[in-house]
Amino acid sequence: MKINEAAVFKWVVIVGVAAAVVIAVTLLTRPLVGALLGLAIVIAGCVYGYRWMEQKWRELGAKK
Amino acid sequence: MESASVAVGHGHADHHHGPPEANQSSRIDRQTLGILLFIVSEVMLFGAFFASYFFLRVVVDPPSWPPHPYTLPVAVAGMNTAILVSSSFTIHYALESIRRGNRAGMKLGLVATWMLGATFLFIQINEYVHLGFSARDLSFGSIFYSLTGLHGAHVFVGLMLLTFATIRAFRGHFGPKAEDHLGVEVPGIYWHFVDVMWIIVYVTVYIL
Repeated sequence: MKINEAAVFKWVVIVGVAAAVVIAVTLLTRPLVGALLGLAIVIAGCVYGYRWMEQKWRELGAKK
Repeated sequence: MESASVAVGHGHADHHHGPPEANQSSRIDRQTLGILLFIVSEVMLFGAFFASYFFLRVVVDPPSWPPHPYTLPVAVAGMNTAILVSSSFTIHYALESIRRGNRAGMKLGLVATWMLGATFLFIQINEYVHLGFSARDLSFGSIFYSLTGLHGAHVFVGLMLLTFATIRAFRGHFGPKAEDHLGVEVPGIYWHFVDVMWIIVYVTVYIL
């Protein structure tokens, strides 16, 4: 699969769902809890995103 | 110019004139790579604004945030967020349509995206008018208008890109092959970025 709009759209959905979880937790508890959850999600997302990009780049190179 | 043509005429036609051929990666086309690199630089720009926001919020440390007596229209902004998120689905629909050769679907998707984006911007400006505080009111006002204004400027740029893409679509440009609809693909990627950025701005500024 090429790095294109469809791949980026998947990330819009992921960020949207993560934001919905943070909003729900913030409204149910306190803003600090929501902020900490948001931070944890951002860190996890960065690690996953880096691995995803690395794997995608390798796949594209192998198809060359 | 003339000397160059004379030189060619004297048996130097096999020599390459002008700048070297641009390298084309087999992994990603130039246009997509260009917009991705641009987005990386934009993430850094937004990162600087977010750093300012958190710095002010933590260091200034008012008893409440937003500082009394200011309030933010969370529900209206939430509805605006839904409008912008839905525009990501319509631009995706436009792209999926042209990939299947459905030109009418692409046009519909582009027009819907443009209208949703314009509605978002209109509501944002309307919100500014009715907020009751300006960028001069405390550091809160400054950073609020800076962050949301920076994003609004990006929406405006995205709308300009979508305008060009829509005009081209109605003129019969673009085709199902990947290289034939880059004029929609690249603004589409940019639009998704603007959308994701707003989700983060909304959660940070209005919810947390």
